[in-house]
Amino acid sequence: MASLVAVPAVYGQDAAAWLQRAAGAARSLNYVGTIVYEHGGRVETSRLVHLLESGSEFEKLTNLDGPAREVIRNNDLVRCYYPDAKIIRIEPRSFRNAFPSLLPQQLNALAANYFFRKGELARIAGLETQAFIFEPKDGLRYGHKFWADIASGLLLKARLLNEKSEPIEQFAFIDIQIGVKLDRELVKPPFSSLPTDWQVRESPPGEVQPQETGWVVKDLPAGFAKVVEGFRTLRGKSAPVAHLVFSDGLVAVSVFVEPVPPTPQPVGLSQQGGINVYSRQLDDHLVTVLGEAPGATVRQIAYSVAHR
Amino acid sequence: MVMGKLQVAPGDDVAAGAVVKAEEISLLADGELEVERIEGVCTRLRDGSSMTTWVCYHMIGDALRGSSAIMPGFAARFATRFAEEPTVLAPPRRGPAPAAMAWAAAATVAAVSIVGWVAMTTLPMGDGTLPAALATARQAATVRAADTRPVVNNEYLLVHQEYSPTTAIQGARPYLRAVAATDPDARP
Repeated sequence: MASLVAVPAVYGQDAAAWLQRAAGAARSLNYVGTIVYEHGGRVETSRLVHLLESGSEFEKLTNLDGPAREVIRNNDLVRCYYPDAKIIRIEPRSFRNAFPSLLPQQLNALAANYFFRKGELARIAGLETQAFIFEPKDGLRYGHKFWADIASGLLLKARLLNEKSEPIEQFAFIDIQIGVKLDRELVKPPFSSLPTDWQVRESPPGEVQPQETGWVVKDLPAGFAKVVEGFRTLRGKSAPVAHLVFSDGLVAVSVFVEPVPPTPQPVGLSQQGGINVYSRQLDDHLVTVLGEAPGATVRQIAYSVAHR
Repeated sequence: MVMGKLQVAPGDDVAAGAVVKAEEISLLADGELEVERIEGVCTRLRDGSSMTTWVCYHMIGDALRGSSAIMPGFAARFATRFAEEPTVLAPPRRGPAPAAMAWAAAATVAAVSIVGWVAMTTLPMGDGTLPAALATARQAATVRAADTRPVVNNEYLLVHQEYSPTTAIQGARPYLRAVAATDPDARP
C-alpha cells in the first residue's frame, strides 16, 4: 500500500476544495428549495429552508407527500414533528464530528479508495453546476457523483452508484434560491407551545465519550479506519450501546453492539436507499452494522466483530 | 408498485449439498456470495435444474429492475398470468412494523408473478422440467422478497449520520432518509 500514501497534489487540492466548499456552503448560506429524494423506486418530495442568523444555524425540512413530517434544526438540536401521531421527537445532535476540516489522513484515505475527477457542466434547478465524481477503486464502496452550484459551491444534486454504476439513491433540488434574505418565520416550529395532547419523546444527549468498548472489528475492509469508539445512551435502550465508527474518507460505517433485547429483533441484511444494515446475534449480544456502503461490506464487518 | 432491490439474508449454515440452493443462486446473481463459495456453487450449477433457476434469476432480476427487453404481447401475457397466480404472502415475521410486512408481501406477490411469467416465456414447455424449475425459482423469489426489510433502525441511523462525512457536505438532506424511515408509533 506504500504507493497509495503519496497523494497526488492535484487530487488532494481538487477533491478537498470541492468537498470543503460544499460543506461550508451547506452550513453558511441561506437557501430555500424543493428536494426530490429517490431511493429503491420511491420518490419523495420535501421542502428545505436553511438560514444562518447571528451565527445560529436554522433548518426546516417538510415532506410534501404522504403523512406530514417536519424536521426543524437549530444548531445541534433537532425536533421531528409527526402530526398524525401527535408526537414530537427531540434529538440532540452534533454535526461537528463529520467534516471538521479535511485532515491529511482523510485526504490520504480519499486518494487511496477513490478516483476523483471532474464531470460535465450541467444545468440543475436553473443553475449552472459542475459535476464531480468519486469512483471507487474496489467493490467495497459505492460511487458518488455530486453536482455543485458553480457560484456558491452548494450541492444541488447527489447520487450514489452501485458497482454497476446504477443509481441507488439520489437527492436533487428541483428549484432553489440561494443567498436570499429569509425570514425566521420560515423555520419556526408549527406551534409555539406544544398542544397538551401531543407526546414528547426526548433522546438523551448523546456524544460518544471516547473509550474502549471491549469490541473490535478483526477483518476491517480495506481503506476503512476507526474514527471514534465509545458508549452512548439511546432512547428505548436500557443499557448503553457500544458505538464504533469507521470511515474511508467519504462515507462512514457504524457498528453498534448491545445486549440482546427482550423483544426479538430482525437479523440479516436490510436496505434503505444508500444505507445498508446488517444485524446478527453474537452470543448474548446483538451486532448491527450500518452505513453508506454495499451490503457485502457491512456484512463483512458484522461477521468480524469480536471481543477484544 | 414500490419496488426495491431484493436481497436475501444469507444464513451461516448453508451446507454444500449436491444441488445449488435457491438462496445461493440469489446471492450469486446479486454478486453477494462469499468468494470462497463461488467456485463450488458454479460447479454445481452444471446440474440442469440449477442452471434453469440461474437463468430464471437473471430474468427475474431484469424484470424487477425494469431493464428487460419487453417482448411483444408481454403486457397481455403478464396480466393473464398475474390473474392466474395464487396470492402468496410472505411468512409472518416477529417484530417488523406492519408497513414492512405489507411491503414484503407486495414484493413477494410481484416476484412470484414475474417468476411465473419468466418461466412461461423463457422455458421449454412440455418436457417435464417446467414445474420443478418453476417451483424452485418461486421458492427462491419468495425467500428474496420475505427477507427484504426496508425498515432501518431509526435511532441508529440518526446517531450514525452525525459521523457521516456525506451528511456534512449535504446539509440536512440525509435527514430525508430518517424522515422516510420513521414510524413514531413503532418506537418504544
